[in-house]
Amino acid sequence: MNAPRILFLPLSIVASAALLAGCTATTEPAAEPVDGGTLVYATGDAEPGCLDPHVGGNYPQGLISTQYLESLVSKNSDGEIIPWLATDWTESADGLTWDFTLRDDVNFTDGTPFDADAVKANIEHLKDPETASSTGYLAVGKIDGIEAVAANQVRFTLSAPDSALLESFSQPWVSIQSPTALERDQATNCESPVGTGPFIVTDWVKQQSVTLERNQDYNSAPADAEHTGAARLDAIEWRFIPDAATRYAALQSGDVDVIDNAQPNNISSAADVATIEELDAPRPGAANRIELNSGKAPFDDIRVREAFIRSVDVNPGIESLFFGTAERSYSVLSSVEPDGVSLPDVFTTDPEAAAALLDEAGWDTIDSDGYRTKDGERLSLTFPISTNQSIPAEQSLFEQIQASAKDVGFEVILQPTDLSSWYGALFTNEYNLVSAPYTKVGADVLRILYHSDSIIPAPSGYYANLAQLSDPALDEILTTASEVSDAAERQELYAEAQSIIVDGFYVLPLYDQQNHYLYSTSVEGFRALPPVAAPTFYDAWLNN
Amino acid sequence: MVEQLASRPRTRSLGWIARRVGGGVFVLWAVATVIFFALRLIPGDPVDAILGGPGSQASAEALAQIRTDYGLDQPLIVQYFLAMGKLAVADFGTSYALKVAVAPYVLTQLWSTLVLTLASLVVAWLGALALTLATSGRDRVARALGSGLELLAAAVPHFWLASLLIILLSSTLHWLPPISVPGPLGLVLPVLTLAFPLTGFLGQVMRESLANAYEQPFVLSARARGESEWGVRLRHVLRHAALPGISLSGWAFGSLLSGAVVVETIFARPGLGRTLLSAVTIRDIPVVTAVALVSALTFILVTIATDLIDRIVDPRVTEVAAR
Repeated sequence: MNAPRILFLPLSIVASAALLAGCTATTEPAAEPVDGGTLVYATGDAEPGCLDPHVGGNYPQGLISTQYLESLVSKNSDGEIIPWLATDWTESADGLTWDFTLRDDVNFTDGTPFDADAVKANIEHLKDPETASSTGYLAVGKIDGIEAVAANQVRFTLSAPDSALLESFSQPWVSIQSPTALERDQATNCESPVGTGPFIVTDWVKQQSVTLERNQDYNSAPADAEHTGAARLDAIEWRFIPDAATRYAALQSGDVDVIDNAQPNNISSAADVATIEELDAPRPGAANRIELNSGKAPFDDIRVREAFIRSVDVNPGIESLFFGTAERSYSVLSSVEPDGVSLPDVFTTDPEAAAALLDEAGWDTIDSDGYRTKDGERLSLTFPISTNQSIPAEQSLFEQIQASAKDVGFEVILQPTDLSSWYGALFTNEYNLVSAPYTKVGADVLRILYHSDSIIPAPSGYYANLAQLSDPALDEILTTASEVSDAAERQELYAEAQSIIVDGFYVLPLYDQQNHYLYSTSVEGFRALPPVAAPTFYDAWLNN
Repeated sequence: MVEQLASRPRTRSLGWIARRVGGGVFVLWAVATVIFFALRLIPGDPVDAILGGPGSQASAEALAQIRTDYGLDQPLIVQYFLAMGKLAVADFGTSYALKVAVAPYVLTQLWSTLVLTLASLVVAWLGALALTLATSGRDRVARALGSGLELLAAAVPHFWLASLLIILLSSTLHWLPPISVPGPLGLVLPVLTLAFPLTGFLGQVMRESLANAYEQPFVLSARARGESEWGVRLRHVLRHAALPGISLSGWAFGSLLSGAVVVETIFARPGLGRTLLSAVTIRDIPVVTAVALVSALTFILVTIATDLIDRIVDPRVTEVAAR
């Protein structure tokens, strides 16, 4: 029969091609950056509904808009604020007036000049209810007045001092767009926002890709960029590939050059692949953590909260389920936040101490299923899990936490749900444990997550203080910190705030918000822009 | 009585079509109603979908604005009648999340899904025909092999098959792209994934009717006339074997539509399935409603079409239906 020979032919071709590929891989890469080429980026984050990050304001929008929109300031890899579209800034002594000097040689890609009026139009756009902004709206919340003092001078007057103003301005959700483009209707601006960035949005095929082409006249790189002038790549094809295994397969097969949301098993196996590299760029703001709802029983009792934290052993789960790609966090804040404090001693596992605490709190009887009870009521904890936000490894970790809590007598009821039901459980206070991501630049995120003001739901029902932590002393520290501009003093206040949160056993930190990029070795000069660790391809080039 | 029946086949057909269309409209209304209330029974607030979900802490003004804009400040029953009134004139509204008109958007996605499902149906038919014609009526080993293959194929879950095909044909052999690319090449893996289990289903059904057909006297007479074995199969037995396959195709199309959710997501292919998945997740009510209605409508049309084809291929069906 011919069948075996027919099969053999393609196999031998593949084998020899693999050998040839092995040979070419050993040649030296070009040392000098080359211009041209289209880079294919595959994202696993949701496809944005709107490419203008002022509208709504979530991470997927930040990921892509970093390619075509720019902010007033940026951060360098040390976490310091650096100039971008603004070159200089001064804060008045009372902290209520900020003057920004703007670059006077920059144009938007539709020809509109970048100036003080443009900045004014952008802040007004964020504050306009019609824009329906969430993240950006919060960031500029304290700005009361905007005045164009000169073409390149803009003055903000604030309702209260805002020590987080510069960090807020560094976020992609507060990036600056062409005022001419903003005047178009929202649907149009969502399809083709216009900025000053190194790339221009030229096409968007829904559920497929966004095409970004080089901005030939680009001249406004942030202060920490490697080169000046236009980007090296001709274009970026930004593809939406929701399935993690497919995304990795596409990277392996060379159909795409960079993927985000790489899963632990893929990161681990990519370590053995010579043609794939990894960039670990944790998101700023809060670490991934489990919040203990102190607003109702049984976690309104600090002894029960401490008992829960003493009863669970998180580390073996992280090590095994994440293949060594995630590191245990002992801080409420992301490891990239300079003001974050790591307090491992608070989170030691001690089942015996946990049992003693539960006995003391009155949960001293055990039912036939091995769970503790008090007055005939079982020590049950509901834990709604958003399957859209928690990856499979994290869901398995929650199962391990459930198992170790059971040994001490906690019944943890895991409730995997879709995103909207998950929000529903949160809004109606039907949870004892919850894990919710939150990304913001700077330690001021503590104020959003743990100030008692954040327990009052927004009219949508959402409140960020899911631990329902209500402590006047903490409130005062967080408010003061948000108004003090002296870096050393702020750091001290945030350290104090973190010790209050952690010592009250309101939170169980797990690890940084995972943000792993895998990319082909043919991509050079790719990095994550520090403010929110979104990718930037301004310096990138292809060496194939 | 017999004369009367025979003299009115046309009006009977028209009546049949009218009943089917009427039933279809009822199904569409029921689907729209169930979707409307089901989506509102989920705890939470559709405003989150409009604001982009996670962490949205919009101002009270922005939220009030949105409620008024989208009519969400009205009582539920008023919202229901307003929504039904709009649907009655094919006004699907604006997507909460995508901020685009729903109707044209869903139509472009429908096209992509139709290409995928129809191609899969054709491939599954060809596969089932080839498999059954090649192995039925032969010796016991061939028959057992054929029906075993069909059983196996029918049992394979889409997501597993998709992953397997990607690992084998993309990651290992580099023959095909693992992601959907424009043109026929990008269609190969998604179509294979959808067609493979369906081939098994269709094959099993056809095999049985083939076996019955072989017992019929006309086969014996054809053989007696000296017709070749393949001639018997293609010219005489096939028509009988195809009938249940045609009836099954309506159902098969529905299963392909639901399979499209998995396949479109895995192969990053645009389409109704993927649209539905993301819209349900964030509760984009107008999009979910439109996708459900368009899928239901397509399914209804395809079932009517397959029943019509059934009646053409085998006029006996009409008589049975008329009784």
